[in-house]
Amino acid sequence: MTSQTKTLASLPNRTQPSQRLAALVHSIIGSRYFLYTLSIAIFLSIWELAAVNKVLGNFLPRPVDVLIQLWSLNTEPLASKTLFEHLWASIYRVLIGWAIGVIFAVPLGIFMGLNPYVRAIVKPVFDLLKPMPPISWISLSILWFGLGEESKVFIIAIGSFVPCILNSYNGIRLIDPALYDAARMLGASRRQEILEVGFFASAPAIFAGLQISLSIAWSCVLAAELVGSRSGMGFIIILGMNQSAPSLIIAGMVVIAITACLISVVMGRLENMICPWKRELPQ
Amino acid sequence: MTANPTAESRLLNFIPYMSVAAFFIGWQLIVSLGLVPKMLLAAPLDVLRLFIDKLTQAHPDGALLYVHVLVSLQEAVLGYFLALAIGIPLGLLMGWFHTVEGFARPIFEMIRPIPAVAWIPLTIFWFGIGLSGKVFIIWLSGIVPCVINSFVGVTLTNPTSIQMARTYGASKWRIFRTICIPSALPMVFGALQMALAACWTTLVAAELIAANTGLGFLITMGRRLTMPDMVVLGMILVGLTGFIIGVIIDAVEKKLLAGIRR
Repeated sequence: MTSQTKTLASLPNRTQPSQRLAALVHSIIGSRYFLYTLSIAIFLSIWELAAVNKVLGNFLPRPVDVLIQLWSLNTEPLASKTLFEHLWASIYRVLIGWAIGVIFAVPLGIFMGLNPYVRAIVKPVFDLLKPMPPISWISLSILWFGLGEESKVFIIAIGSFVPCILNSYNGIRLIDPALYDAARMLGASRRQEILEVGFFASAPAIFAGLQISLSIAWSCVLAAELVGSRSGMGFIIILGMNQSAPSLIIAGMVVIAITACLISVVMGRLENMICPWKRELPQ
Repeated sequence: MTANPTAESRLLNFIPYMSVAAFFIGWQLIVSLGLVPKMLLAAPLDVLRLFIDKLTQAHPDGALLYVHVLVSLQEAVLGYFLALAIGIPLGLLMGWFHTVEGFARPIFEMIRPIPAVAWIPLTIFWFGIGLSGKVFIIWLSGIVPCVINSFVGVTLTNPTSIQMARTYGASKWRIFRTICIPSALPMVFGALQMALAACWTTLVAAELIAANTGLGFLITMGRRLTMPDMVVLGMILVGLTGFIIGVIIDAVEKKLLAGIRR
């Protein structure tokens, strides 16, 4: 449709001005960004209408209320922390847990990919533990570590562990054998094969594992904070629930969503910087 | 490389069993020798004993084991199929029709980055702690891979086929129906597995906060009663059930894909 109207609009001036105007209007309405704006506007107005008419009882605040709530979270501390301090508390946990998970998982995955004996020892046990969702470890980790920081870090580490190990293992294992053959033909030693071929060829897959595990870590920290904590974004939304303040919950969710977006953007940028040789694979 | 490759491969086939056995024996020993207090970790034999007990008695969490499994399955399956039923058509339409994409995409992109866990408090307000709330959370987490995969599947349609159909005068709707959908199917089937994993993970989260039956509830109850054997039993059942459903979906996916390729 759009392609046809575009050709119509770019025709030389043989058409009537009124027709050209119609084509112009049509191309604006058909434009993607116009639709995006319209869609968000409609979404917000439906939300506003639903909130004003109390479709969901008192549990849907107006969009304006959420904005006001966001602002007051910034200025008035909640549980002696402002919004950014809560956000930082969550991010701090994520970074520590994720780093621990990555430090153990990536080398283990790489060794599993390189050495058949390590694979034979580790893989069956890993396969036993893999299907358990990380969130199901929450109870055990609270029994082990209590409600403090350690239990949250533990869950995040568990959550980041699985995708990291899988991606490093598959990244090493699925390297095109022709690359190794080529290196070997040029007289590379086993050490050079691993360091100069294996490392670079598997880096995109490993990095993808880091990305996936970071986003899993972000939802793990929320789950852990929902169960019990005194700070963090999960604490904010559970506080909203306990105080029956849906605007507080939605404000928290908005910040969570923005943070998740930022994380994925930053990781995407980093990926382009660290392994620019990555080729987009057709999935 | 090695002088005797058959011996090596026999050893490599044998090691996995050893490793699993060592894992369970080590686990049992750690607990029985008292290296870890019984309050913190249950030995595998205790878990097995509890499993057998729970098959026939509802004490102390109020329901038989199969009830927990069935309740969890019901929630997950409902949420999963709702996610497929809405997510796949939406993704396909978004991939082909500009208008649908223009309207649905911003809203989808707003909702996508919010982890399903973060929806729990709001869902409890809106739906209560019954079945519908959990299905809603599971649906939210399952729909994301469905939409993305179907959308990408359609956009990856070979443009030559589309242009050829256009040359022969096919309508836009007909091209969508006869070319775009079939060519997107492999990616759509890929979403079956991803959505299932997302749904099953979220199930535990949904039951963690508010429930009175279900596997997630079993885990939480085990913690409240300080019964680590119950926690571990719940975790194992979650893992096992998820694994079994995964195998089933995998078989279905292979069958469907084989149907296309023929």
